[in-house]
Amino acid sequence: MSRFFRQAGDSDSDSEDSNEESLTSGDEDAAPQKPAAKPAMSRFLRTAGSDSSSDSDSSDEDESEMSDEEPAQKKKSKFMRGDSDEESEDEDVKRVVKSTKDKRLEEIEATGNVMDNALKINDWVAISNGQSHSFTHFAETTVILEFDKLLRLVQRQSNAAEPLPPFFIKTLIGFEETVNAALAREKEKEAKKKMNATNARALNSMKQKVRKATKEFEKEVRQYQNDPELFEREFASHAQPVDAVVPKPKKSKKVAETESDEEPILDDRFTTVGKGGRAMSFSPDNIFKTLKLVHEARGKKNTDRGEQIRILEKLLEVAVTSYQRIRVLLALVSSRFDYNSSITSYMPIDLWLSAQREVDQLITIVVADSSYAVQENTEDYDELIERNPATEREGVVRIRGSIISFVDRLDDEFTKSLQNIDPHGTEYVDRLKDEKVLYRTICRSQAFYEQTSQPEPLARVVMRRLEHIYSKPDAVVSALESSLTSSEITPSVILASSTTTSSLIHSLCIHLYKVDNSLLRTRAMLSHIYHHALHNDFYTARDMLLMSHLQESIHSADVATQILYNRTVVQLGLCAFRCGLIKEAQATLQDIFTTQRVKELLAQGVHPQRFQQQLTPEQEKAERSRQLPFHMHINTELLEAAFLVSSMLVEVPLLASIESEEQKRKAISKPFRRLLDFADRQVFTGPPESTRDHIMQASKALQDGEWEKCRDLIQSIKIWSLMPEAASVKEMLAKRIQEQGLRTYLFTYAPYYSTLSLSLLSRTFSLPLRAVTSMISKMIWNEELSASLDQSTGVVVLHRIEHSRPQQLAQVIADKVSALVEQNEKVLDIKLGGSGGWGDRGGDKGEKRGEQTQERRGRGDRTRGSVRGGPRGRGSRFAQGLGNQMTRVR
Amino acid sequence: MADYDLSKTIIPYLDRHLAFPLLAHLVETSLFPIEQVQAAQYELAKGTNMVDYAVSLFEQLHPDEEIPEEFSGKRDKAVSTNERLQLEAQAVLDVIENPDVAQALRQDKIQNLQYLKDNYNLTLEQITALYNFGQFQYTYGNYSGAADYLYHFRVLSTDNDLNTSAHWGKLASDILTGKWETALEELNTLRDVVDSRSTSTLLTASTEPAALTQLHSRTWLVHWSLFVYFNHPQGRTLLLETFLSPTYLNTIQTSCPWILRYMATAAILSRKSAAGGTAASSRVRHSIREIVKVIQTEEYQYQDPVTSFLKELYIEFDFEAAQRELTLADRVVGDDFFLGEFREEFLDNARYLISEAYCRIHQRIDIGDLSERLNLSRDEGEKWIVNLIRETRMGAEAKIDLEKNVIEIHRSPLPVYQSVIEKTRGLAFRTQALGTGMLHSPQQPQQPQQTQSQPTVVEGAR
Repeated sequence: MSRFFRQAGDSDSDSEDSNEESLTSGDEDAAPQKPAAKPAMSRFLRTAGSDSSSDSDSSDEDESEMSDEEPAQKKKSKFMRGDSDEESEDEDVKRVVKSTKDKRLEEIEATGNVMDNALKINDWVAISNGQSHSFTHFAETTVILEFDKLLRLVQRQSNAAEPLPPFFIKTLIGFEETVNAALAREKEKEAKKKMNATNARALNSMKQKVRKATKEFEKEVRQYQNDPELFEREFASHAQPVDAVVPKPKKSKKVAETESDEEPILDDRFTTVGKGGRAMSFSPDNIFKTLKLVHEARGKKNTDRGEQIRILEKLLEVAVTSYQRIRVLLALVSSRFDYNSSITSYMPIDLWLSAQREVDQLITIVVADSSYAVQENTEDYDELIERNPATEREGVVRIRGSIISFVDRLDDEFTKSLQNIDPHGTEYVDRLKDEKVLYRTICRSQAFYEQTSQPEPLARVVMRRLEHIYSKPDAVVSALESSLTSSEITPSVILASSTTTSSLIHSLCIHLYKVDNSLLRTRAMLSHIYHHALHNDFYTARDMLLMSHLQESIHSADVATQILYNRTVVQLGLCAFRCGLIKEAQATLQDIFTTQRVKELLAQGVHPQRFQQQLTPEQEKAERSRQLPFHMHINTELLEAAFLVSSMLVEVPLLASIESEEQKRKAISKPFRRLLDFADRQVFTGPPESTRDHIMQASKALQDGEWEKCRDLIQSIKIWSLMPEAASVKEMLAKRIQEQGLRTYLFTYAPYYSTLSLSLLSRTFSLPLRAVTSMISKMIWNEELSASLDQSTGVVVLHRIEHSRPQQLAQVIADKVSALVEQNEKVLDIKLGGSGGWGDRGGDKGEKRGEQTQERRGRGDRTRGSVRGGPRGRGSRFAQGLGNQMTRVR
Repeated sequence: MADYDLSKTIIPYLDRHLAFPLLAHLVETSLFPIEQVQAAQYELAKGTNMVDYAVSLFEQLHPDEEIPEEFSGKRDKAVSTNERLQLEAQAVLDVIENPDVAQALRQDKIQNLQYLKDNYNLTLEQITALYNFGQFQYTYGNYSGAADYLYHFRVLSTDNDLNTSAHWGKLASDILTGKWETALEELNTLRDVVDSRSTSTLLTASTEPAALTQLHSRTWLVHWSLFVYFNHPQGRTLLLETFLSPTYLNTIQTSCPWILRYMATAAILSRKSAAGGTAASSRVRHSIREIVKVIQTEEYQYQDPVTSFLKELYIEFDFEAAQRELTLADRVVGDDFFLGEFREEFLDNARYLISEAYCRIHQRIDIGDLSERLNLSRDEGEKWIVNLIRETRMGAEAKIDLEKNVIEIHRSPLPVYQSVIEKTRGLAFRTQALGTGMLHSPQQPQQPQQTQSQPTVVEGAR
């Protein structure tokens, strides 16, 4: 029993402090209590509620409750009310009014029962609905919850100097056995399958708790084991008198074992803080002391973060030596980041700005004086004494801290704020202006890491820098870079020295390619490709993408990288479109549009709902945190326009060239075909409004051979204005429309003519005669058109051959059979796993198809297949020759 | 014309000694100022042990200057080294040339080594002396001697790296002595070495450097093989065969797109075998089509008159432009070190290609016009066309109407059955091959020989 007395003694000694402590510790204790005390069962709801209300008072009243009769009365009545409510359902209850003690005993028992139940179903984590909603991050288990509660109740019991109820001991013993058994079972890996990760974790923490508790009650447990009956009798006899004595509620500590043990220490601390707060004199002498206090208070629930920041700011003012200033700055910046603990909302902008300034300051100090170093790992040092280079070994003062994590955090917070600010307001633009200072900070830290030659953080910071500039047009990059020249700390590579943005990005990427971290390499590569694509350097971008073999491994990358990959591929498609490589553009953009989740795949918006499953709140939150800030978006409407127009240019002539129904089903671009069919079914078509309308009507015009109308419709699409070189793109499109118009015309009307004059064709489509001749020659050569040219008269002679039905069918079946064989060869290839294949005659077509199917199968939930069609054939060739040789290429 | 000269691009991929013929050729063509070329020759020779040659070049270059001192010292040193190395090598050679030993040697190298060690006290180090001597001989220009020594070394040595090095040395020596048959053999074995090394090393952890070295070796091999392929009688076909295989096509596309010129020329040159020959594999038969495809994809990286000729002819179908490019290409080919000899043949074949394409597309052709397209006079043109019709299979379709001075071509459309037969041809064989492939695979998974021998069987059948 001595233990309980000691405990009581402790509380006694506390009482002097209790008044001072009350302000701070009162709410501190209450806060963690709530989630834990929230029981799963409604039966305990009421009592728990009253618990916490009494708890919140408990610390200040503590031992003085004897004299304080009134609130006690109130509380008692509360409990009574609670009891009467329970009365009907509780058969054990004999008396109408029960003492608190009985109440407690009952609770103990009930808790034990709940635990038993949970144990039976082997459920270490049973997050009830109510809990998961309000305390999702509390991965508590029913059992743990209940166990904690049990301990708490028992604690209270012991505080009241009452003997332990035998039931508790019994439960404890039984429980220990179960836990051990469960662990043993787990060791055998049998239960592994059954138990998910949370469950397993819960079980482990349970084990710890049980062990602790058993130790605590060692004596009682032994007593009980020796003679259970005696124990019970003793308890009963003890209970009798107490029963009579307890007219008032017990003031007890609800804190669980661990916390109550810590209590004295905590108290000490808070006393000092209080004193320090009062006597806090901001002088250089006791900076470290104050710093230590602040440091200790960090992360505690009741710490006033604003106050801490103020303290630190004052400290910074008085700090004299570099060492002091570094130390204070380190603490200050981290406490600024602490200010906002919520994951969803972003850091207040003024705080962010000052944090940014302070990081800058910090870097300046460290760069200016190389005898100070901020490192993540240092030897232990006494935080309370001043240090200077002279007293240190090697003449360098090493201070624990991490600038890279500050920079990371600054950047992340910046992105987060952009995600949360309405992109159409002025606030967004204002915020965006801060990117300049952020960029400068990043560059400064790059300079710092270059100077101190720390490769790992340097790579990280270079990546950050790259991410700020890779997707931006030259003008923006030079604006960002312009601030660098003025500052005295500059990294080795700046725009001023490397003249063009491309070479700047090139040198940054080269640096990253040499890094060990493969994730950084991948991201650098993608950014590099993106940059090339943005600058219309299609071939380089394509070759880099294909040679990097990223499309094979990207499925296993993290989501952010996959998003970057998607962005890169899309940008590549747009680049092809701008360069007039219609087929490539179509093939590249095809994949992302067939998924119909363009926005989601580019992280530019969450799709409202999905058919398969509803997203859980966490998923949604994660999704949201991934979204790109608005200024990074690739305009999806523009993207769609580019895709549909290129699909039109590919698909319409193709549609015209095929006659039989069977072939018609094979569409190159399904999304386009779908839209076209839909437009065909429309009874009445009004003037076009949306981009799609324009393109659909243009397609119909193209099908009818009215290329001028088609051109006008396409060129009147407003969204083109967002394209960098709108005028030249429009021109290019006009030219392509002319050509494809001619092809479509020939395909469509060839059966109705026996000869066609070349000059007429050239006039109709306003193409030079040579171009017309060349195009028709090409069609003849490729056997798309059965015709020949008559040079002397300048006409195309069309040979029309009508195939009879059996002939057509024969051809179809021949096609199918050869496709079958090809497919078989493909399968065997895959089976044998030879990269070159056992027969490399497969040719491009079969190869492509095989890869396509493979890709579809392998497509993850968020990634898509990649560049296909034209470039692919070549890509697969690269695949065999090269390996991952990107570093070599540039 | 100097713009299109590839010597400068190619030389970095050649051995010092292999570059001499190229430079000598440049002296002849006088594309560049002769002094510059000579200076280059001198610089090149200075780095070798061919002291006398370097001295003579120096005298040519600076007729009125003293010969630098260093040469005599170098000469003495070379002679002494030669003697020393020869002594070392001779010991080994004496043993090997012993008929008893020659008979006792077997296929197994390790066993051989053991045998030599036991009976003649020959160690690996001594055998390496063969390599050293061979290499030294090479440096002062005794290529045939070098080839001999390196050959002996390779038979005995087990050191992989040195063996590969000896391979390269032997190939260079064979090329420089002009033994094209042996050079071709050497080339093929070297190719196998380069290719096979990949599969063994690629499987190990350090893929990256291995892949890179492989790429480098292949690039070098591609350049060196040009010597062989454009001198060996069967060379052009073999060139197409090799360079169009996926691995080498990759190499060319990634690291040396200028080789496309040689591929294109070889394809044009081997047109005849492509048109009539049944022996040529499908790869060679369709080489032009393949190469045109590659030229199209690589257009942004490399183009010259030869490739643009093919491009204009088969992609743009612009006969006038093709004709223009042909005139240019003709000169380029004439000036090229490797292609120079084939100038006439090239022109001839290119004309055939033009007229073939022209005839296929047109129904009625004016003879005068066609002659003009071919850069021929009217009479010549007519003769040419008659020959063309006679030689190719167009005989049944094309007729010359002398009165109107036109050729009439009546192509009957391909009958449906024909196309069906065409499509289904070889399916049975392919299926059979599939079956064999399946049977063999379980016992020998990833057996390179097996997998590579397969396609030729099938293609022959097709």
